[in-house]
Order: sequence, then structure tokens, then C-alpha cells
Amino acid sequence: MKKLTYLASAVAASFGANAYADVSVSGSGTVGYVNGTDGDGNVVTGSSVAFGLSTTTANGITISSGLSITVSVTAENAASPGGGQSLTFATGGATIVVGDISVADTPGSVGGVAGAMTVENAGFDSDVQTAFDDDDGTGISLSTAVGGATVSVAYVFDDDSDSQVNVTDADSGASSFGISLPMGAYTLSAGVADHDSGESAAGASVSAAIGGGTLTIGYSSQTMIADPTAGVTTGFVTTFVTDAAPAAGISAGTDVTTTATTGTASADDLSIGGDTEVIGATYAMALDADTSISVGYQSAKDADSDSTTQFDLAISRSLGGGASVYVDMRTLSGDTDGANGDGTAFGFGTSVAF
Amino acid sequence: MLAKFVFFFITISLLFGCSSNNHEEKLAELDKVYGKCDNPHRQLRPLEYEICKDKEAAAGPDGVIDNEGGMIDGLFSFGNDNSGAIYATASDTNNFLWDASLQVLDNYSLKISDFDGGYIETNWIQNVKVPNQRCLVKSHVTSKELISTGIKIKILCENLFEKNWYVSDEEFYEEEKQLTLKILQVAKEIKEITPQS
Repeated sequence: MKKLTYLASAVAASFGANAYADVSVSGSGTVGYVNGTDGDGNVVTGSSVAFGLSTTTANGITISSGLSITVSVTAENAASPGGGQSLTFATGGATIVVGDISVADTPGSVGGVAGAMTVENAGFDSDVQTAFDDDDGTGISLSTAVGGATVSVAYVFDDDSDSQVNVTDADSGASSFGISLPMGAYTLSAGVADHDSGESAAGASVSAAIGGGTLTIGYSSQTMIADPTAGVTTGFVTTFVTDAAPAAGISAGTDVTTTATTGTASADDLSIGGDTEVIGATYAMALDADTSISVGYQSAKDADSDSTTQFDLAISRSLGGGASVYVDMRTLSGDTDGANGDGTAFGFGTSVAF
Repeated sequence: MLAKFVFFFITISLLFGCSSNNHEEKLAELDKVYGKCDNPHRQLRPLEYEICKDKEAAAGPDGVIDNEGGMIDGLFSFGNDNSGAIYATASDTNNFLWDASLQVLDNYSLKISDFDGGYIETNWIQNVKVPNQRCLVKSHVTSKELISTGIKIKILCENLFEKNWYVSDEEFYEEEKQLTLKILQVAKEIKEITPQS
């Protein structure tokens, strides 16, 4: 027996493998034209570089983290650093993330397929409250397979912190649970989420291969908390008059002006706490080996009886070498904030993955 | 708060204890349904999600980032196979794991080498120092993707007793794990030096 072990060990010893660390670099860049809901055209650029750090231990556990430098597409931005606030532990049986994580607070909510470049720069401003006010913070998440299902749980100790948290005194936590299960030709996903503020969510979606593509239909119900400052004066700002030629009856340097601070119409999407319902569907298919098309539909209504309807179209074509071109379109109608919160926006451009 | 955390910790522990060893395979199956970037069971940071979406767009529906293809050719070759696209084959064998398996087992005579099935088996390996024992190595690539659970290794050994060979009941977990890690390491090295295709 010992000699047999010697032979097997001798075979394996010739393939000696050591635990090794690895640093990888990846990134992306994008430039596009966005025609917003106000009819104005914008040229937008963005890029990012991500440093992936990983090591595999002798018993096969992969531990990884990452840092990044990003130029965001959402506004005029300089390069900003980020990441480095979580560690991922992956085995053959589970993936655990410790640090800055997000809970799945919109289970079953589907319908958005247009890219961030177009959506973030189009000027949309829906008055329907969906999703938790804050769903990420320092916490721990686990994703694993149990039988034929994939299960994910996440717990955030405090959504006010990202890299450090006082777990004893934390009072703004959130949690979520999700499960996906193949059922023949269909895949069913369901989940629930909860926040210490009283917000909660539940939803489900079902996907199926139909007509050469994938159809996904989802329903999400979210219990939201009203913004307590909606339309309410929350304070006053007092300043001395500094005009060289003040209005009649006012003396510069001695008289004061007082301005009330009030919750803005754009910030307070919800004035009555209650349930928000989101119904949506997406269909994605390949036109050929390099071209894909996706359409999405979403209808949402909150406890204020504000509702919106959204329709998305996204076409993407791979050009080779990591580059692709895209065309995105979104139409939003219903209850929105501002003069151009609704309407139709489209964008096209190119993105490159390095 | 404390009670909620204790309940969550117990839930995580129970799930971890009941977990099966095919988590990566299940994630890969869900990737085919939702797309890797939108898989609800992948915890991606916002920047990771953006890069993932760009890679997904660059790869196209066939999941392969092509080497060739100019912008003009790519725009006007819609539906044309001359775009230089590499279509996915019917095999579920990851090329890097396959090449790594062949490279690692290069010093031994191969009895079976089946790419479509992802299966490699060596002939009996014998050592002059241990004439009454022999072993063989079986390697099976089980995934289309380069993942840590995409390779299965099995070492079988036999003892010679009265001129007949008998299978040994002994298990070689450590040796199999060592071989697995070596193949994964070589596969990663091959992937890094291989141009994107």
C-alpha cells in the first residue's frame, strides 16, 4: 500500500503545482453620441482600467480583489479611483464576498436593456419610486448551488459605510435572498429583500428560450418609505446682504436675507409610503454570430399613483479585437419630473474592452 | 440587529454545509440565460459590470472576441459569414484546459485522446523501482469555459498478485488535486500567451 502511494505520488510529484498570485489588468473605453429628451445632442466619452488581484491557495480557494480608475460617462468627470473595498473567496462550491456589497433590492424587476451611456445622459427623470434608497454597504454575501438550484444571500451591516463598519452599533442594515431554479425549458428566479428602514421587496421572473432568443418576464413588488422632507421646509439659510447697491430700505452688511430649504420635487419621488409594482419583459436574440438585438418593456406604479411606461431597444455588433458598435433607444412616458423628464432618447457609439 | 445577524450567519452556514460542488457549472448555466453580466447570482461591482458589458458586446452572441475585422467591414458584413467570426463548435471542451492536459501529460503514452468528449487517458505507467504496481491517469474536461471545476482528474492504480493485476481500493485525493492545480496553472499560462480569438 505504501509503495502504491509512492508510485501515485511519484506520478503527481512530476506535476508539482504551487499556489500562485496573479495581477491582471483590464479596462474599457467608450465614446458615443446621445440625443436626449430635450432634443440636445451630446458627445460623451468614458473609460476605465481595473486591476484584478487574485491568488489561489494550495487547497484550491481563489481569493481576489480589485481596484480601478474610472472616467464616468454620467457627467463631466476626471479620472477617479475606486474599488479595493471587498475580497472575494471562490471555491468549487461557493463564492463569498466580504466588504462593499449590494443587496438584491429589485427582485423580478426586468425591462431595461438600453446601455448606461444613453440612459444616464438622456435626461430621464421618472417620478416613480423604485428600489431602496440605499442598497449597498459593508457586508457579506454568499452564492452557492444547493441541489439543482443556485442560491444567493447577502447581508449589509450598515449602508452608510463601505469598507469599515461598527457591527455592534450598526442600525441601517439590509438583507436579501434569491434563488434560481431550472425547470425544464424554463428558468425561474425569485427573491426577497429587507431593509432596517422598513423597506422591503419581493419578486420573481421566468425565462425561456423562444423563437431563437430568450424571453424573460418579471414582477416585482417593493414596499417603499416616503421621503419625510417631500415638499416640507426643512430649514433656513441666513446670509448678510452684500450688494453694493441693495434694494430700497435694506442696508448692506447689517440686514439679512433668509431662504427656506425645501425638499425638491425631483428628489421626493414618493410622498406616501406604500407598495410599488413593477412589471416588465425583455427579449434578446442573436441576428448572427456578431450581432445581437434586445427589446425591453417595463411598467411601474408607486403608492403615489405615479406610473411610467418604458420601452427600450438595444442593438450591438461586435467588430473584432474587443470593439463593438451599438445603437440604443429608450422611450419613457407617464409621470416624470421636470420639463424633459420623459420622451425619447437615442444614442449610438462604440465601446472597446481591453 | 444582533438577532438578525445571527439568523443570517446560521443561514449562511447551513447553505454552505448543504452546498454541492457544482456551483461554477450552475453559474455558467445561468450565464447562458441571463448573460454573465446580468446573472443575479454574480456579485459584480459597478465598474466590473461596465467592463463585463463591454466584453459581452465585443464578444457578440457567439461569445468569442474575434481577432480580425475592420470597422467598415464589420458594419457592412451584417449576416455575412465572411466577417471573420469564429463560430462556437458543438464541443463542450475548453481549449485551454484541453491543451494544458495534453501538455501536463506529455511525458506519458496516451491511450485515449478525445477532444469532443474532453477525455484523455494514459497507458499504464510503471516504475522500475515498483515493478508490482502500475497506475494510469484519466483527465476529463467538463466545461466549455476555463473554470476551476472544469477539469476532473482520476488516478487508478493496480497491484500485481500472482501474475494478475488487481485494482487498488486506495484513493489518491492529494495527488489528483495536485494534478488538477497544475493543469489549471498551465491552462491559465496558455490563455495569457494566446491572442484573443
